Amino acid sequence: MKFKIKFADQIVGLFILVALVLLSVIVILVGMNQRWFSKDYAFHSSFQSATGVSPGTSIVMKGFTVGKISRITLNETNTVDVDFNIYDTYIHLVREFSILELTVSPIGLGSQLLFHPGRSEIRLEEGAFISRADSPEGIAWIEQELVEIPPKDDTITRLLSNVNPLLENVNRTVVTINRTLTEVNRALAGQSSGPLGSIVGDVSEATARLPGTMDEVDAIIADVQGRVGGLMDQVTDLLYSLEGVSLNVEDITADIAATTESIRDPTGLVPKLLDPKGSLKTFLDDDNALYKQVLGMTNNIEKSISSIQGIVSGLNSEMPKIAAVLNETRTAILQAQDVLEGVKNNPLIRGGVPERVQQESLFRSMREGSFE
Amino acid sequence: MIAALGRAARVKTSNLMYGFGFFFEVLRETLHFFRRSQVGYKVLINQILFTGYEALAINAIMAVSIGAAINVIGSSLLPQFGQSQLMYTILIIVITRELGPLLTAFVITARSGTAIATELGTMVVNHEIEAYLAVGLKPISYLVVPRFIGVVVSMIVLTIYFNMFGLLGSFIVVQLVKPIPINEYLSNLLSILTVGDVLSGMAKALVFGIVVSVVATFQGFSVNRSSTEIPVAGIRAVGQSFILIIVADVLVTLMQYA
Repeated sequence: MKFKIKFADQIVGLFILVALVLLSVIVILVGMNQRWFSKDYAFHSSFQSATGVSPGTSIVMKGFTVGKISRITLNETNTVDVDFNIYDTYIHLVREFSILELTVSPIGLGSQLLFHPGRSEIRLEEGAFISRADSPEGIAWIEQELVEIPPKDDTITRLLSNVNPLLENVNRTVVTINRTLTEVNRALAGQSSGPLGSIVGDVSEATARLPGTMDEVDAIIADVQGRVGGLMDQVTDLLYSLEGVSLNVEDITADIAATTESIRDPTGLVPKLLDPKGSLKTFLDDDNALYKQVLGMTNNIEKSISSIQGIVSGLNSEMPKIAAVLNETRTAILQAQDVLEGVKNNPLIRGGVPERVQQESLFRSMREGSFE
Repeated sequence: MIAALGRAARVKTSNLMYGFGFFFEVLRETLHFFRRSQVGYKVLINQILFTGYEALAINAIMAVSIGAAINVIGSSLLPQFGQSQLMYTILIIVITRELGPLLTAFVITARSGTAIATELGTMVVNHEIEAYLAVGLKPISYLVVPRFIGVVVSMIVLTIYFNMFGLLGSFIVVQLVKPIPINEYLSNLLSILTVGDVLSGMAKALVFGIVVSVVATFQGFSVNRSSTEIPVAGIRAVGQSFILIIVADVLVTLMQYA
């Protein structure tokens, strides 16, 4: 008898048994993977809309699935009741101030339900209500930093979160440009009485008044030049006076130098002074002539110092005025240049007033260059 | 012409009703099979041996080949669309839900369907059926029910093996071409595989097994007296089984997704 026929019972039994064992193993593995044997903790929340939420939707925290939505129902107040489960391995994260955040991709890449744990140490009991991130209490908790919201480190998510505002801005800009162009067209066609029309009118009026304005600018500059010229004349006079004083000081200095030279050698000074024909006797018997001369010199020195003081104080008082006048002159010249440049590059025709570029100093130390 | 049309309709209806009657008789006798003395037990074991065990090799080769092809194509094509994870979904749908039961049914039809139809047709031609009747044995109880149960059981068991070879055996082949860590593969596979997928394959296997066995035995008994009718019965068994399997597949799939 053939082997297979002889042991048919055993072969068939083994054939079926192995299949049943394999089936059981697969079912058990699937069950373990789908958490048949693990405890889940039920919680509930409330959403304005069920868009992006469905039974089985994963609840994600930092990329980990911490639970799933089990049921959604539309209640009598037209809000959506959401029942969900949190896995036992993550139940410690369900603390006071925890919130749920539904993020929907604006370009149709699906949605994600994020769980953000609260910073409180108090754990929520099973069946507790978890607020949404966009609910009033959720917003308040976020503002008070009672919720742990991780930075969105996913580049695509971050980009997507910025897409909406950008699109809104683009939309707003396009609408504004469209409106502006329409207004410009109407204004250029002479049909607008609105702000743009008045601006165009003002510009043409301003352009017409520009020659008069330039005359006024010229007058201002001439006035400034006159004032500066007067000041400079005064300064010149003062410098002349200073020169005279300086000459007097030089004479005095020469006298002092001669006196100093004459008394440098003390040899015979005392006999010469005490000699009946000496200087001391002469000094004492000259009817105060020398004394008066010294006194006159001292008076001259005092006058010179007073004059110098007056000149210096005058210069000090005039310096801010000079600086201010020079500044005004410079500003007036720059403005005049800008006005002329603006007229040349009319904003409605050309590129407008160009930005002024500061010229950097071309001086460079030889040491600063590279050895190229 | 109208008379001919009416006669044809009557004959077709009669045959269809006869077929339904045969099917319900098989079901009824199947319920009694395990309560009776097991005269057909040896026939059942042999049927499972021939239909199931001996088809295991070809079944495994098909499963591993198809699974490996899906793995290789999926792992090279789907990442281009950023949908690598879909490979496991496709693998499960193709192997577990669709091709597993379907290809197993085709193999059993080709191997055992023809064999059953031919064997029963030969027995009819050789008057063995009359002999069974003469000694008081019901041919359906003794000849059809063991084959019916044997084919259904073999079909379900072979589908389980097909799933195993298709899902896990193909992994070994893929390792030679594009190595993937076993943990990653199993984790991804089990996260997508559901019991519903497995039960769906089992349900199809059950239906296909019923179809193949009933059609094969019915066509075997449709032989009257000539030996030339035997291969014709075999061909009809295969043709009808294929058609009914595909129709049943569509119906079961519609029921699952409706």
